[in-house]
Amino acid sequence: MCKTTRRGFLMGCSTAIAGLAGARFSNLAFADTNGGNNDELLVIIFLRGGMDGLNVVLPIDGSDRGFYETARPNIAVPLTGPNAALPINAQFGFHPAMSPLVNLYQDNKLSLIHAVGHDDVGRSHFDAMEQIELGTPGTVSSTTGWLTRHVQSANNLPPDIVMPSLAVGNLQPTSLLGDYDAVNMEDVGQFNLETGPYMWRDAQRLALRHLYEGDSTWLHVSGVQALDAADIIELNVAGGYTPSNGAVYPSSSFGEHLRTVAQMVKLGLGLRVATIDLGGWDTHNGQGNDGGGYFAGLLGELAAGMEAFYLDLDGSGANNYTSKMTTVVKSEFGRRLTQNADNGSDHGHGNLMMVMSGNATGGVHGTWPGLDNGQLYDGADLAVTTDFRQILAEILIRRMGNPRLGVVFPGYQGYAPLGVVSGTDLPPDYSAGQILFEDDYESGDLSAWSSAVTG
Amino acid sequence: MSEPRPVPSRRELVRGGAATAVAATALATLPTAATAQRPSVSMRSTDRPRTLTAALPAPPDLGVIVHNRCAFGPRPGDVAAFQALGSDDTGRLTAWVDQQLAPGSIPDVDVDNRLSAAGFTTLGKSLTELWADHVVANPPWEVRMQPLWETRAATWIRAVYSERQLLEVLASFWHDHFSVFGPDYWIGPVFVHYDRDIIRAHALGNFRTFLEAVATSNAMLYYLDNYTSSDAGPNENFARELFELHAMGAENYLGVMSQQDVPLDGNGIPVGYVDGDVFEATRAFTGWTISNDSNNPDVGNTGEFHYRADWHDRFQKYVLGEFIPSDQPPLKDGRDVLDRLANHPGTARHIAGKLCRRLLGDDPPQSIIDQAATVFAGAVAAPDQIAQTVRTILLSTEFQSTWADKIKRPFDIVASALRAGQADFPFVLGDSDYDSFSWRFSQTGQEPFTWRAPNGFPDHRDAWTSASPRVMSWRMVNWLVDVTDDSDNFYLDVLAQTPAGVRSATELVDFWIDRIHSRTLPAGERAELIDFMAQGYNPTFDLPLDTDDDIQERLRSLIGLMFMSPSFLWR
Repeated sequence: MCKTTRRGFLMGCSTAIAGLAGARFSNLAFADTNGGNNDELLVIIFLRGGMDGLNVVLPIDGSDRGFYETARPNIAVPLTGPNAALPINAQFGFHPAMSPLVNLYQDNKLSLIHAVGHDDVGRSHFDAMEQIELGTPGTVSSTTGWLTRHVQSANNLPPDIVMPSLAVGNLQPTSLLGDYDAVNMEDVGQFNLETGPYMWRDAQRLALRHLYEGDSTWLHVSGVQALDAADIIELNVAGGYTPSNGAVYPSSSFGEHLRTVAQMVKLGLGLRVATIDLGGWDTHNGQGNDGGGYFAGLLGELAAGMEAFYLDLDGSGANNYTSKMTTVVKSEFGRRLTQNADNGSDHGHGNLMMVMSGNATGGVHGTWPGLDNGQLYDGADLAVTTDFRQILAEILIRRMGNPRLGVVFPGYQGYAPLGVVSGTDLPPDYSAGQILFEDDYESGDLSAWSSAVTG
Repeated sequence: MSEPRPVPSRRELVRGGAATAVAATALATLPTAATAQRPSVSMRSTDRPRTLTAALPAPPDLGVIVHNRCAFGPRPGDVAAFQALGSDDTGRLTAWVDQQLAPGSIPDVDVDNRLSAAGFTTLGKSLTELWADHVVANPPWEVRMQPLWETRAATWIRAVYSERQLLEVLASFWHDHFSVFGPDYWIGPVFVHYDRDIIRAHALGNFRTFLEAVATSNAMLYYLDNYTSSDAGPNENFARELFELHAMGAENYLGVMSQQDVPLDGNGIPVGYVDGDVFEATRAFTGWTISNDSNNPDVGNTGEFHYRADWHDRFQKYVLGEFIPSDQPPLKDGRDVLDRLANHPGTARHIAGKLCRRLLGDDPPQSIIDQAATVFAGAVAAPDQIAQTVRTILLSTEFQSTWADKIKRPFDIVASALRAGQADFPFVLGDSDYDSFSWRFSQTGQEPFTWRAPNGFPDHRDAWTSASPRVMSWRMVNWLVDVTDDSDNFYLDVLAQTPAGVRSATELVDFWIDRIHSRTLPAGERAELIDFMAQGYNPTFDLPLDTDDDIQERLRSLIGLMFMSPSFLWR
């Protein structure tokens, strides 16, 4: 807590402040569940560009293997050779680049759901991402993201949380649209206000706060949000960070971002929701033949990052963070079954979703629709057999303890957990209803809004 | 300097959060109990006062609006010059817009001088020269990417120093609209051509012509893979983004639906597009590729657009409700698609809407979008179609009445701070301060020409109000008031611009508010600035600005603070 900079000295070395801050922070984060203190962390890894799930978890047997090989003569993952698929059951195998996750899968810490998506989500990247992140397939009119509405509607969170939501990256994703409690940062080491004339920095910072606290337009409120975020990071992040259990993150911005989330988790800031993006999945051209190449490299980065993240958070007792963590890996849509002439793949439909958690049940879930031509969506793509909201709803209820499905996913009905994670089912609440957002941003009757969104 | 500093009030402590605690601790006179009262900063907290019911600021004088939305912020004197353009707002606005829509008639001596002094060597090269020198010659990375880097430096120079501000704003708009990833291995070496001959050459011109220039540009052909698209191996990446981003927009995508099921509008034109249109258009653009193969004498290796008839799918196609017959002359299939897209009412609405979003506000009134779309559609064959559309938007009543529905993005923040501060910054490759500038600016998330996806940097505040771009922009502008050259001269010299008679905190704040904003600020904001500059002393006392380094530094901090303030962001 005690920093060596002048500012840090002034701030952090007052034991009164440090003691107080430490006490309050640790009370909130990952405390025992009592008094409605849900302390679960939900991490969303969004794979931007349309990840080719058919080359991540792929058929290794039966007629679908034949359809797969016929449709992908060059880019199919082979069954033999140095890049052979890694069988995970009689039907499916992993892409060899998934090897870092084999142990987690065998330990049932990784649940796989194939053919996930929504039929109202088309083949446009930007529309698809928007609809999925708003939690409203088919429309893009909402002013809040689904994660925002989750955090705001959960009635089992303490009133004070230092950092409830964190978006690591240059910009905050649409899933956290309208969340004025979220912290968004790219690089912990640069996330401070230590520039400009040295002598007056502290006074300037105070004046800056007064300027933004002086009114309450969205611009002012978001400015205070940024100042609070900078204060929190500077107060709490001192020196470096050493991952536990010898975890080694990929030396990429994705690896750094995962590392930052783990660091924030262990600081006990009360993190409930974190988002990370990994882009580069729009593989129209030269994605890599025979289980190698570009796609293998990108998938390897994803898998190595996920493995390191789990390992880093995997401790015992008070450090058993994985027992409170659920990480969802998803993309806006899958890719077409048939490869294109550039040894790439074009925009498709149904896709793989992965859920990594100490509370995962493991295995492959959902209904595999098959790859025969008549089984494909629009004669071309893996069909959707599981609504993406079905998986997220299960995690919201079983892990996050938030049954307000009508608020988070307006219009979604028919809660039917597939069992990708363990936990207690609560009666789902489909009402948009009167939601009392403590912060007044979205106060009022949401039913009109909800019907507008879904109608 | 013996007057004691005031002790912060209890209220200050409670509302000030961490920063207040710093000030309090620095005094070292505060009782521990009071320090312990400081609330810890919590993002989610019942302590946080929060309601969004506050009224947004009213529109300022028209000259201020014009220079914040049609330019990269007013320089001292710009708003006064606008006032001198006519006897009423309409006359002044019309004069300004018409002048700016003829950028070639505006002398740009400062930019010319800076560009030549910067020692750029690639900005004058033709496409074939760029290709030969920076691709075929296979030079080291820094030479390969030099055209991109020089374009970026020139973009800063023009944004900050050009008199042709509307052109710069529109060039930025079209770079976002027809976005390519500049640092790409194939695109960086030809970026000068893309910026100069594609984006800037058509920024005020005809949209149909613009579409074809983009579709045949080396950069876009690489970026969206059409350079490989052939009859034997079609690649739909370009065709999809052509419909979705360049022309009709995703709002006119009807999803997965058969072409024959698409409803027709009153003129018998399909109301939107479906995947079938994308697939058929893909076939129409097969063979649109690049001269990039020195082993094939028919293709050559000049880097220019090249049509390969042997790669083209010669058979009949069906796009947007009409057939494209078999065996048309070279390029005709693709040109038919571009014609239909450029003429489609959905394209007019899409482009008009995006221009209104850039030039008016994030959620512009439908009335002005409709008006602009009508002009766009009516001028579809005019060589100045885009200029006509822009003129309609800027001369509308909606333009004059819209304010604070938009904030500056990081590029606008930094460019406008440099303009308001009359900075003389060295946008020169290899200059260590420009290197530092670029590195710092990249952290804001808006480093020019680096948006990876084909939809360009977002133009809505939703993308830019979060903590990371805000904090990184604050860091950047605060650095700008403090950075000096090797001889310790400030690039943004606050002191030199402050007249001798302006010495009290109140005078300094009022002088600089006018200089930076060309308007008055809300009383509360002005009072906070005066409080900062006075630091507890009587704000009417003259400060020893000429002799006291600390006061000089405080004045620079004040200017940094003003660049970080809410009022500096509204537009």
